Parts: sequence; C-alpha cells; structure tokens
Amino acid sequence: MKILEVSGTTLSLALFVDVTNSKELLDLMQAGTLDPEVALLNASLIPDVFPLLAAAHKTLIAKSRDSLTTRTLHSELVYNYSGSKHISESLKRCGISDNTSYILAARFGASADEMTSIKGLIKGAEIGLEELEVRANQAQIQKHYKISAPELKISSVSDAITCRIATRDAL
Amino acid sequence: MEIKLDGVEGSLVLIKQGAEARVFESTFVGRKSIIKERFSKKYRHPSLDSKLTLKRLNAEARCMTKARKLGVSTPVVYAADPLLHTLTFEFVEGPAVKDVLLEFGLQGIVEERLNDIATQIGDAIGKLHDGGLIHGDLTTSNMLVRNGTNQLVLIDFGLSFTSTLPEDKAVDLYVLERALLSMHSSCGNVMDKILAAYRKSSKQWCSTLNKLAQVRQRGRKRTMVG
Repeated sequence: MKILEVSGTTLSLALFVDVTNSKELLDLMQAGTLDPEVALLNASLIPDVFPLLAAAHKTLIAKSRDSLTTRTLHSELVYNYSGSKHISESLKRCGISDNTSYILAARFGASADEMTSIKGLIKGAEIGLEELEVRANQAQIQKHYKISAPELKISSVSDAITCRIATRDAL
Repeated sequence: MEIKLDGVEGSLVLIKQGAEARVFESTFVGRKSIIKERFSKKYRHPSLDSKLTLKRLNAEARCMTKARKLGVSTPVVYAADPLLHTLTFEFVEGPAVKDVLLEFGLQGIVEERLNDIATQIGDAIGKLHDGGLIHGDLTTSNMLVRNGTNQLVLIDFGLSFTSTLPEDKAVDLYVLERALLSMHSSCGNVMDKILAAYRKSSKQWCSTLNKLAQVRQRGRKRTMVG
C-alpha cells in the first residue's frame, strides 16, 4: 500500500493480483453500496503511478468546481484515467469487469481503517506498486491510448498516457 | 474531505512574461513543472476574450500532442485548465539551442555538437511538416536540448496550426533562417545543415524548398495588391 499526496489531499493505493471476487465487487459498486467508496482500476493499463496522479489532480479540480462528469468522485478518477470522453466505455476498460484479477484500488483521503476494510473487501493477494511497470500490458495500453511507434521512440509509455489524460478535453 | 479550491499547487515563480502569456515554474504532483498562463486582454470584449484565450489554449495542447504522435519530442503536458487558462508542462532540464549557439560564438564551435543539433532540428521539422503541422514560431529559443540525452525538444506551440501547403512550410523554415542569420551568423551556415537533414527526413522536401526559394525573394508576407 502507498499513500501519495495530490493537491492538498491524499490518494491511497493498493495493488492486488489473483483477485477472485471481481464480479461481486462490480455488483456492489454498480448498486452504489460499496463501502467505503473506492476506485477499482484495471491495473494492466497502468505502467506507473504518475499518470494516475495526473488523473487524480484533474478529478480533484473538477470536484472543487462541482463539475464532475460522472456520479462519484472515484468513478471520475477511473473515467479521467481513460483519457477518453466515452464514459461507459472508459469505466468498462479502465475499471474492472467480471473476470478482472489484477486490480489497483485507489481512494482519496482514506483513513487507515478505511484502507483495512478495502483490503478486506478485495479477495486477492496484495503486492507492491513497483510491480506495475513489469505487469503492465503494453499492447493493450498502446491500443487503448493510440500511442504510435514514432511516439514511443521519443517518450516513455507513462508520459504518453499522461499527455492523453491532460489533453482529453482540448481535443 | 477537504479539497483546495484553486487548481494550482506549490509555489509559483515567474520565469518569463510575453505578450500573450506568463510562464511560471512550479511543481505538479511532486515533479518540477512549467505553467503557462494565457492572461485576459482587457481591451477585448470579455466574452470574445475568453473564447479566444480558450481556443488558443486548446490549440496549443492539441498541436503538442500531435507533434508527439509524429515522433517529435515536446514537453509532456501534465494538465490543461480551461477555467484558469493554464497549461502545465514537464520542466525540461537543459539549455535552449540559442544559448548553446551563442556560446559557440564566444568559445568557438564544437563541430560535432553543432552538427548533431542541426541534424535533429532538420529531422524534427521534417517530421512535423510531413504530418501537416506547422510550428509557426521556429526560433532557437524555442528549442531546448535535454541534459544527459542531448535530445532536441521543441517548445511553444502557441502559434502552431495544421496545414499541408508548401507555402506555410516554406514560411516556417524561412522564419528559422532569418532567426539564425540575425542571432547566430558566427556559427557558420547552420541553415544548410538543417536543410540537409530536412531533405532526408521529409518526403515532400522538394516542393517546400522550391517554395522557400520564392519566399526568400519576397519575404515572409505574401505581397498583397490592392
């Protein structure tokens, strides 16, 4: 688990492999009864925490201006990470589905107790965040974010994703 | 849970002020960053002003992303704020090409380094132009050399636009040629080296360079009759 600072608040992250109850988690989330509220992301699209922090920054600004596009703060994080304007597609791809086993859980301003209960909810093995880079699915990332071969020659995958997240609304 | 209200974090240090924008140094979620703020022009009608500012802000972010996709290194865009009219970029550590060339003028030319820089410039412009992107303000102060890797990074896409016309490409090159001539004539003919690299990198070099010859005759602006 790791706690990072983003624009005056914290973002607590925990990474899980071999998660067996993603369907259950998804049902709870869609019913709005997942407690505490948490963002569950498809970790194979996340090669590094930095793009996620950029998405978190964007989310917090939208929240402070009461201009969230999605229903909750944490679904907004998933939506922003996708770098796309298509909400349902974003939540499907960057969020979890029935059989996702590799999940990154993220919560803003979480207390220690809340993180403990989140860990209780997710039935899987927790691993360190440094695993993100090696476990990321490069092919899937390049397809999802439309990262071209010439771009990869001059930039890292995580920088390319950050650019997509930041400039989504300008495109 | 409490959230800070403004979109800016960390301390702001003003680096430069231009006619259209101010540039600050700051931090973005733990990384050193540059913030470019387009300020409002009081002489314009407020609604027109905010529309124009926003349009230019978006155009800049779009052109930078396009340049990246074409394989030309630009600073990573960290955030774009349509309300505050700011763009947050990666802080690129390294000198501007202008300073490198000026130092060559004073200390003597390091031939190898000069060739490397000129080749990278020509190559980068070739890629932009073939992708239909015109930088619009190619000067040596809008090019940085990243410390460590010596990679050329193009900045300031505030005047960029998309076009496939040889005319626009030629003017883009002409602006650079004039800038080089006035600032760095002590470095010898850098433009020839740049154009040689451009020719290798761009598939459409022929029509552009023909046009460039015409533009040289008449200057940047097309002559208007009447």
